[in-house]
Parts: sequence; structure tokens; C-alpha cells
Amino acid sequence: MPSADLDTKVKLAIYEITSESGRVPNSSEISRKIDIDKSEVLGAFGRLHAKRLILPEPGDPTRIRMAPPFSGIPTKFPVEANGRQYYANCVWDAYGIAAALRSDAISQTSDGYTGEPLTLEIKNGQPVLKPYVAHFAVPAAHWWDDLVFT
Amino acid sequence: MLLFRSEETIDLWCTAHSIPRRPLVNLEQLWQLAIHWYANRLTVESRRPAPDEMVSIFASLGLTGPFWDPHKVDS
Repeated sequence: MPSADLDTKVKLAIYEITSESGRVPNSSEISRKIDIDKSEVLGAFGRLHAKRLILPEPGDPTRIRMAPPFSGIPTKFPVEANGRQYYANCVWDAYGIAAALRSDAISQTSDGYTGEPLTLEIKNGQPVLKPYVAHFAVPAAHWWDDLVFT
Repeated sequence: MLLFRSEETIDLWCTAHSIPRRPLVNLEQLWQLAIHWYANRLTVESRRPAPDEMVSIFASLGLTGPFWDPHKVDS
């Protein structure tokens, strides 16, 4: 199978499992789902990372830390949508999960400094607007230098 | 990328972390960014916007200037 086709198949499997379960899969789960060898999955993970579509877990290439907008680990941005709970990587991705799933969603998050509870909501396909503001600490040219910090 | 109740708490966070205050993004702008980046993410044709597309998307939302220019890394 050409690597581009394989990468697409792996990418779709990642997002299908994640959207249906709320959990980002590892290489073994992808291998079982699409019936290819784990080494091929790891190769695809590496190429998808190079294309900035996923971020493998630092130090463990069998796991995915980020399949944006989804996070492979719990974060301060839990998102309820379609009756499931997901985790977003950041405030942008909290809205991104609603956009990707094409679903209404609610995120019970908090102020980045005070920890005060803040609620983000997408209702009838539109954001429920509040005077909250997002702060991007890192310039766009450097977002992928350290994506976990970004 | 964090969320804050107000500009006041952003300033407190920036001071605490010794990070300069950057451009702010309101919730409407943030939703539009989410749509541009992720509306097709679960589909076969999904891809990350190319650098020039990113600049156009940011500009359409009033986000302009060097902070929003991704070319240094992606070129």
C-alpha cells in the first residue's frame, strides 16, 4: 500500500476510534482495527507527525499525545459532546472538538490564572458568547516548537 | 492557549510567568479559528492549513502582524 494511502487509513482510524470512544487510541488498537502490522502504524504515526497532524507521546512513539483537537491525556479542557467526554489540548481545541464532531458541546474549564470555573458552550452550532478572552502566549511561527507548552 | 475571565487575569498570568502580553482572541474569533482548522478533521481530505492559508484565515478575523505569521517555521 502506498504510504500516503496508509497514512490516510491510519489517520481516519485514529479519529474514528477517538470520536466513538472519547479516547485517543494507541498503535496496537490501530493495528487491530485496520489489520496492519504495528510497525506500519508506527511509520504512519511518524509521517503524520511530520505533517503536523498528530503529536506522539514524548518518549513513547506507540502512544499519541495529541490528535488535534483531541488530547490523549486528561487536560483542563474536558468537553462533553454527543453524550461522551473528550479532552481538548487547549481552549482553541475545546471549540475544535465541537467543530470536528459537528456537534453542540460544553466545556467546564477554568480561568488560566485564578482557576475560577468558566463554561464554554456551543449551542445550535454557534458559540454562546461571553466576555472571556483567549491568550496565545506563543507566536504562530513557533507553535510546533513545543506544542505541549503552546 | 489558555482561557481567561478578563484581560485583568491575563495580565496577572503574564506577570506571574514573566511572559509578555500577546494579542487577545475573543470567543467569536476563536470559534471561527476552530471551524477553519477542524471542521473537516474527521474526513479523508482533512489537512492542516498551509502557511499562506493560515495568514489569510488570521487576516479574515482581524488577526494580523508578525505574531500571526507562521512562515518562519514552515518555509
